[in-house]
Amino acid sequence: MTYERLTLRYAIISTLFLGLAGIEGLLMRVQLVNIPLFDFEHYYAMLTVHPFVGIYGWAYLGVIGAFYYLVPKLLNKPLYSLKLADVNLWTFVAGVLIVWSSGLLTKFGSLYTLYWPLPVERFPPNSVVFFSSGLLLIELSVLLFIFNIFATVFSRKGESSGKTFKSLLLSAFGLEGLSQRFSMALSKLGVKSSKRMLNGGSGSNPQPMPVFVVAVMRGSVDAVLNALVLAGAGGLLLAFSLPALLAGVMLNPLIVDPLVYKNVFWWGLDMIADGDVLIWVAGALYLLAPLLTNRKLYAEDVVRKVILADLLISMGVWSHHLMSDLPQPSFMRLISGQFITWGEFFTMGLTFFAVLMTVWLARPVKLTMPLKFMLGGIFGFMLGGGSGLLQANYALNLVMHNTQWVPGFHIHQMVLVGLGGVIFAVIYALLPMLTGTELKSQKLSNLHFWLWMIGGVGMAFSMGLAWTPGMLRRTLYPDTTIYLPYMSSAMFFGILLAIGFLAFIINLVHTYGLRTLVGLFIPQRKTKP
Amino acid sequence: MEKAEKRWLVILVAVAVVFNATTLSPLVPWQNWLFWSPPTPVEEFHIRMKNYTFQLPPDGITVQVGEPVRFIVTSEDVTYGFGVFREDGSIVFQMQVLPGYRNSILWVFDEPGDYTIRSTEYSGPYHPHMVLPNAIRVVE
Repeated sequence: MTYERLTLRYAIISTLFLGLAGIEGLLMRVQLVNIPLFDFEHYYAMLTVHPFVGIYGWAYLGVIGAFYYLVPKLLNKPLYSLKLADVNLWTFVAGVLIVWSSGLLTKFGSLYTLYWPLPVERFPPNSVVFFSSGLLLIELSVLLFIFNIFATVFSRKGESSGKTFKSLLLSAFGLEGLSQRFSMALSKLGVKSSKRMLNGGSGSNPQPMPVFVVAVMRGSVDAVLNALVLAGAGGLLLAFSLPALLAGVMLNPLIVDPLVYKNVFWWGLDMIADGDVLIWVAGALYLLAPLLTNRKLYAEDVVRKVILADLLISMGVWSHHLMSDLPQPSFMRLISGQFITWGEFFTMGLTFFAVLMTVWLARPVKLTMPLKFMLGGIFGFMLGGGSGLLQANYALNLVMHNTQWVPGFHIHQMVLVGLGGVIFAVIYALLPMLTGTELKSQKLSNLHFWLWMIGGVGMAFSMGLAWTPGMLRRTLYPDTTIYLPYMSSAMFFGILLAIGFLAFIINLVHTYGLRTLVGLFIPQRKTKP
Repeated sequence: MEKAEKRWLVILVAVAVVFNATTLSPLVPWQNWLFWSPPTPVEEFHIRMKNYTFQLPPDGITVQVGEPVRFIVTSEDVTYGFGVFREDGSIVFQMQVLPGYRNSILWVFDEPGDYTIRSTEYSGPYHPHMVLPNAIRVVE
């Protein structure tokens, strides 16, 4: 197994999951224009698995595959375990497929929010056990990935040989500056150990790691917390559903407080949306911008501080999901829900400014495919992030919460246009490094870019505008026609997205050949003539 | 920090201050009674939710335009939503209804008409059926 082969495997599986999430999305769009393809139970089961396939199957696998290649390369030392990284892929795939099957076979339809006590109150124990097993496997896979990355960063091989753990820890999290300032302050106070603290005990100043690696490490803290909380939710579901399944014992679900559960759940879940995504995306942009423009990143010292701020902010914003839970204390909704969320406006604002200034100062730049997707991704994050700030508002949430504004203007804008743009930028940048060949057809690549961007923005706006005549999210309106123009428009743009995605797939197959792509999954010795 | 970055940061701070101050201020009508000076409600309406159904007060809900009223909504099984919608479908307000909690909101209607109640939170596959057309009558 080589790094290239491993990352390509991740990329292909991730792309297949994107296709699956897209098919689900289109089928649900058909239902939303009042063509009843499914009964309500099946529809909501699909709506439940859709984000798991999209976020864990597509985005997480795409990101993890890229990190397994880039982190060792940038640190100039081997990955802790390539074999574990390969096993990690299959545990992830198994987890996502189990969750997906729980929807298909048992119609588990509690939505990704898993609001307590909905799963155990409305769905049969066998479906809850089925779903929870998949969820636990996914979270275990996230932890395996983090372990492998941490073990790599902290290993004393290659350029890190001779360094102390403390020195590696400080530079991995970008804390050298803070450590030095702290030691100087101690030195002024006459504390003798300051020199040792200054250099981490290694005898030399800790060398800063690339800002991309610092972002990976800081985002990983959020990923661990997220995995632990979601695994905890999965464990709670099992604790209630297994006794019911095995012994017919029904525990009273209201012994778990729904508001406390909701706070803990959103604190953990938001570590993805407001932690991983923003920090890892920022890291990817800090890597891409200099690489694509051949210029040093603008204001690198500031962006290092920005991703540390992002890590702290991500731990305090969860109440923006509880703005409409009026038993939640007002100060929590106002401070955690609104004011701390605005911290992301500054961190992402400074991130985008640094990246755009890097591109601007490098003029004239060639608009390559990765650069186009990177700029498109920033555009998507600006639109989706701005709409998120409007709904995370003490006053405005009252008329926006759970309306189509949220999945339209915010979620799909962020995920498809923002995150999708950055992930495709990384794919287009990495493919030549991994394979030695660029995608053959520039026309198909351009078609992919424009249809993805127009389709993504168009679908997000069509959905979001359905908020004005009061259309809710998570709600079917089989007897109502007033939302049909919005949903028809969303479907049209969804089809554009799908055509753009197909252009990418055709280009991949046309360039590398189906046999080569499938051959990546066959053990190497069997492929030798 | 470079000069251009400082300027950009000043712009970000200005946008944040103006937006947050505006939306917290009484310029948003309901901030008057929800945030700044909550009045004593003229009437309270108790609504119970259970197994995909609403149980309204026996005399229905009739409200005078401009008079503050309080909706107190409880759930006996799962989390629901309590949303009030105008005749054209647009939303007036909504809140979550957590089981085991007294979920209440004060409101002042400014237009007469018949208003629809709908659950605004997914509570299981039959959630789309949780709608009561013309459940609130607002009169002059």
